[in-house]
Amino acid sequence: MSTDLGIASTSLATTGNTRSGTTPGGNRRKMRSRDYGLVVLAAPAVILLVVFAYGPMAGLVVAFQDFNVADGVFGSPWAGFENFEFFFTSGGAGRILWNTLFLNILFLAATLGAGVLLAIMLNEIRGRVTKRFFQSVIFVPYFVSPIVVSIFLQAFLAGPSGRGGLVNDLTDVFGLPSISWYTEPGPWPWILTVVKVWQMGGYMSVIFLAAITAIPEEVYEAGVIDGASRAQMALRITVPLLKPTAAILLVLGVGRIFYGDFGTIYAIVGDNGTLFSTTDVIDTYVFRALRTIGDFGTTAAIGLFQSVIGFVLVVVATLVQRRYAKETSLL
Amino acid sequence: MTTVDTPAAARPRPVSATPPTGPRVRQRQRPEPFTVASYVGVIAFAVVCIVPFWMVVAGSFTAESTLSKTGYSFWPDPFSLDAYSTIFAGSRVWLSYGATIFITVVGTVIAVIATSGIAWVIARGLPLVSRPLAVFAYIPMLFTGGLVPMYILVTQVLQLRDSWFAVILPMAIAPFLVFVQVSFFRATPQEILDAARIDGAGELRIFFQVVLPLSKPVIAVIALFYAVAFWNEWFHALLFISEPAKYPLQLVLQNLITSVANAADLGTVSAAPVYQMRLAMTVITIGPILLAYPFAQRYFVKGLTLGATKG
Repeated sequence: MSTDLGIASTSLATTGNTRSGTTPGGNRRKMRSRDYGLVVLAAPAVILLVVFAYGPMAGLVVAFQDFNVADGVFGSPWAGFENFEFFFTSGGAGRILWNTLFLNILFLAATLGAGVLLAIMLNEIRGRVTKRFFQSVIFVPYFVSPIVVSIFLQAFLAGPSGRGGLVNDLTDVFGLPSISWYTEPGPWPWILTVVKVWQMGGYMSVIFLAAITAIPEEVYEAGVIDGASRAQMALRITVPLLKPTAAILLVLGVGRIFYGDFGTIYAIVGDNGTLFSTTDVIDTYVFRALRTIGDFGTTAAIGLFQSVIGFVLVVVATLVQRRYAKETSLL
Repeated sequence: MTTVDTPAAARPRPVSATPPTGPRVRQRQRPEPFTVASYVGVIAFAVVCIVPFWMVVAGSFTAESTLSKTGYSFWPDPFSLDAYSTIFAGSRVWLSYGATIFITVVGTVIAVIATSGIAWVIARGLPLVSRPLAVFAYIPMLFTGGLVPMYILVTQVLQLRDSWFAVILPMAIAPFLVFVQVSFFRATPQEILDAARIDGAGELRIFFQVVLPLSKPVIAVIALFYAVAFWNEWFHALLFISEPAKYPLQLVLQNLITSVANAADLGTVSAAPVYQMRLAMTVITIGPILLAYPFAQRYFVKGLTLGATKG
């Protein structure tokens, strides 16, 4: 890690020199202090990234080790691909991979869809103040932690004592049977999707509304002249012009598709084993495996598998999207 | 920023109402069904967003006897302050408030300093430096080491177990916010920088005395994003902090979910109103965010807009 930092600072220093070399009138002493300045500015972030982002990447060698705490990362014996074998032959792997993919595709589709829909509906609202008010209100859920969301959900589905809950009271009103939600794995992918939409819908709509605002007015004026209704303009003008923004968010989302949104799922499901069959994803599985059996090797192997697939997915998605729309690609 | 719809709406209808002897001017303004449906949709979603907050606040003031039967309430009846008085009588809530405030304040300061610094060096557009540095900051968005190496790093290598810095440092740089700030910094007028350079200012002086004062809006944006993230952070706390006296608020709250018995630890009384306390603790945890939100909201919108449209 110290070498990485060294490289960064030397290259900073060299360019600093070339640059001030082109500035007439600067003397050597000043050039030095300038180089030093840029290094100082970049250093905290570079150190943090090297240690906490790149360090763990290097630490993935643990995936190929029979890791034990006493010998550490450098002393533990090598295990080849045993850790990977253990995970894929343990039986749970298929279920967990499926849950991860299925839930994330649901979340991604639902939040993007809700974002577009909410942005288009917000765009119909006349009056700056009213619009801003509603935008603020639907953006609020984004700012609460998964733990708080979990408590909200309990009030709806169970009530603190496990009986009651708003939803079951409503089903009683309509004469439908009450459901003991927290012991019924079937509906959970959909419940979690509703939670995601609740939390992320406003956030997504802010991004899409910004994109709608960037659409030139002339396009809509042409629509009005052609006699389009507002519904037609939303469907034929706004939606197609939102595609590039949606594509960027989709690419970012696809890159995260193998990461299982640990926060939301673990905060809500926790260690409730009856719900694992539909809600256990890679991240929650890894977390439990680490905490209960302390198996570093296998869990790191799963993590590496997850990162590699995620990386491949995001690269493929970026390339596909670049072919689609050249001017809107990332980086 | 408001929109495309204003001019379109204000425009006299060119097609549908060709006869100038049409109905009164007022009626021309009658909204289309699509607009009505949009209002209904937005209002419905807004209500859904607010109701859970109201239920929890109302519930936290409702007596335990009612609460344990229904689990929620829309109106605190019978009204009771038992939960709050029990919670604030104990010392745990103050300790965890202290922990959360420490993590939020120190974390945000570190994060803003680190993020601004690297963002400026990237935005400077120096050959051989800025672009590699941008890639260096971008890669962690695509590829992460994951939980296990991070766990080994923090607990074995850095020995930060039970330290609040184990929560702060891993999330002190958010690449997304680095790029939000880069896109803002790129718009800094070149003339001002040149003027400062001619006056003999070094890079540090330019950054602190010229660039930062010009960048207050974007600093506010990223500071708020970091502050909310630190305030809500519990995953790293869950992993690395095992000493109950050092728990931040979110972790205390999580313990209340996993077992209501934990509520008894919060107060001093043995027969604690556990369900009510869980809701009261939720209110205590989200309170500061909700109070700050009306003032901070526009900065969040601005930050997202900057990030989404790339300046």
